[in-house]
Formats: sequence, structure tokens, C-alpha cells
Amino acid sequence: MENQQNTIYLNIAGFSIMLYSNSNFELEEGYEPFISDKKTTEADITIRCFDDMPIWPFSQDELVFEAENEDQKFYSIFHARNDLGFLIYDQQNLGKVQQMAVLDKSFTKWMVFSKPNSENRLFPLKYPLGPIIMHYLTINSDAVMMHASCAFDGTKARLFTGFSGNGKSTISKLWSEAGNQIINDDRIIIRKEEDGYFVYNTPMYYKDISKRAPLGAIYLIRHSPENILNKLSGALAISKVMAFCIQNNFEKQFIQSRLNFFSDLCMHIPVCELGFVPDESVVNYVLAHEKGGNK
Amino acid sequence: MEIQSLYNLKSKFVAREVGNELILVPLTGNVAQMSEMFTMNETAKFIWENITETTTLEELENSMTETFDIDSETASRDIENFLNHLEVMFLKKR
Repeated sequence: MENQQNTIYLNIAGFSIMLYSNSNFELEEGYEPFISDKKTTEADITIRCFDDMPIWPFSQDELVFEAENEDQKFYSIFHARNDLGFLIYDQQNLGKVQQMAVLDKSFTKWMVFSKPNSENRLFPLKYPLGPIIMHYLTINSDAVMMHASCAFDGTKARLFTGFSGNGKSTISKLWSEAGNQIINDDRIIIRKEEDGYFVYNTPMYYKDISKRAPLGAIYLIRHSPENILNKLSGALAISKVMAFCIQNNFEKQFIQSRLNFFSDLCMHIPVCELGFVPDESVVNYVLAHEKGGNK
Repeated sequence: MEIQSLYNLKSKFVAREVGNELILVPLTGNVAQMSEMFTMNETAKFIWENITETTTLEELENSMTETFDIDSETASRDIENFLNHLEVMFLKKR
């Protein structure tokens, strides 16, 4: 998908994104279903792509956040002169910088710096920068990005979230086999809109159509020897759901906006802990025991 | 954990009141984990909100006995448990 015009418009979770560059650039195939032809729409964010990497303008003293696990580093964030700077690391070559990016204080203007690959092809949104940009897309609006799977029965979407290995993909497969549409089984954006809360999928490494569905319930899942449902409310519900939202908590304003969002969300959408047996019985169990829909 | 140490920690958290409870989320330089979010019941919320730069342990105990109709021994134990709990949380996230 090489871009001849050096401009691409995307519509992701209802947000308008304009990418542009003086150089040719491409997006991975997972972005294709999200390309929009509405070139006249004013973009919510713009992403200017460069085909080289400059000398990094931030100092180590300005490092505010690091996303890493025991095995590897994903990205580092620096804060200075009202800008956020992102160093994105190559997931195949430990420690190697894959992209540099700068986000302005309005959270609407990105500059992305990366080098063409060995085949002289430029992929400015290469993982994990794409999802990072989508996360910051939600900062300015009533929206969050969650580690979650989500199934839609044609009337309402059920969102399943939990620690890695707790069964998000397993449970979405079970709901799929029961006739549900899977919005996504890994990453979901939730937006508050005029007529309620809606879930959206986002571009993945594989191609999937853009999807939107009304959110009806949230389940915090874990494997269990028997199916069991426990409704949560108040501070416990809010903190447990928020724990699985993608967040960079180095700024108080980020945390405050997330707390505000989840406080309202948990007042309107039922939240339950769901221990489940990984077979089709969980679908009927949930249908029999949930009190569905928005409160 | 000393009571003044707790006061110094307050600026490192963002709090949200939900009914009689409080949610505390720490500012962090790393990807947040679930265990680092903290919900407080009514008593813990009272302690958190009433610690100032100059509050003494005795003053806090007195405020608690007046507010919750408990004896000073219970108040002292609640405060100690709360401070220990927060210290564990804070150390974990360091």
C-alpha cells in the first residue's frame, strides 16, 4: 500500500487522522480498512512523517516514563519545552531505536522520524508506535484504550478484560462460536458518545474491518473450576477496570481524566468479575445470570 | 511509615472520591500495574484527607475518635495499619 500522494487519512474509532510526508511512506495492511477518503474533514490529529532520524533533542534528565518488561524495552517518554518525546525501540533488535516521535502540548500534532527498511520502504506507524498514537488520541476526548476482547451479539457488546493469560482470546472465541461478532480480542477503544458508550476496534497486524458497537457490560475475567459471576460497584469497580486501560501515569492530568472517565463509565455500564470454565457453558451462564444493558 | 512521610507522599498520588470511598492512583514512571491502584474505605479516606504538613499522630487519633465513635486504641491501630499498608504499596512501586 504505497502512498503516491504523500497523504493518507485514517478514521480510527471515529477519530480523523491525517498522515503526510514529503517522502513516500506505507502503512501495514492492518490499517487498510481504516483508510478514509474524506480528505476535506478536519483531522483530529496530524502526523508528519520524516524519512530520517535526527539527533535526539531530549536529555536523560527529561526522561519521565519507560514502558518495559523483564525482557525488553518498548518505548521511553521524555518531557521538555511542553513537548513529549518518544523513543520507540525495535522489538526484534534489543536496544535499537526504531522511531523517534514528538507530540506537541495540544496532543494533536505528531512528528515521526524513522528510516526506510532494508527494502527502502518507510513504515512510520510500525508497532508499537501505532497503538501509542492511538492511546494519545484518546487523551483529548471522552475515550480510553483497553487491553480487552469484546463480543457483540447484535444488541450489545460485552467487554472482557483481565491479566495476560486470563483468557481474553479464549472467551472471545467461545462467544464467536455462539454467533457473536468479535470486535477484537486484544485491544479496544471505548468512547462516550451522545447516546451511550461505544466500543471500537483498532488496526492490528492483520486486516480486519472497522467495527463499532454499543457497550453493554464489562467482565473482569479469570479461569475458574466453575462459572461464577460477582457484580462490582463503587471504587472497587472503577479501580479494577481502570487497571486494564492503557495509561502513561506520569502526569496528574492523565490520571485525573482516566479517573473521571471510568467513574462515569462504571455508573452506567455493569461491571462483574467472571470466573469461567473455558468451554461453551460460560456463554449460557452469563446470559442466564447477567442483568444486561446500560443501567 | 511516619505521618510526615505520608504527607510528603500525598503529592505523588491522584485521588478520586467515590461515595464514602477514595481511589488513589500513584504517579509513576513505569507501566502501571493493577496492584498499584489503591481503594480506601471511609476510615482510610478520613486519615488520608486529614493529614497535613503539621498534623500530629495525637491530633489524628483525636479527630478519628470524635468522628467515628471509636476509642483511641482502635484509632491508633487503624492509623498504624493504614501507614503500613501505604508503605508497602509505595515500596512495591519503587
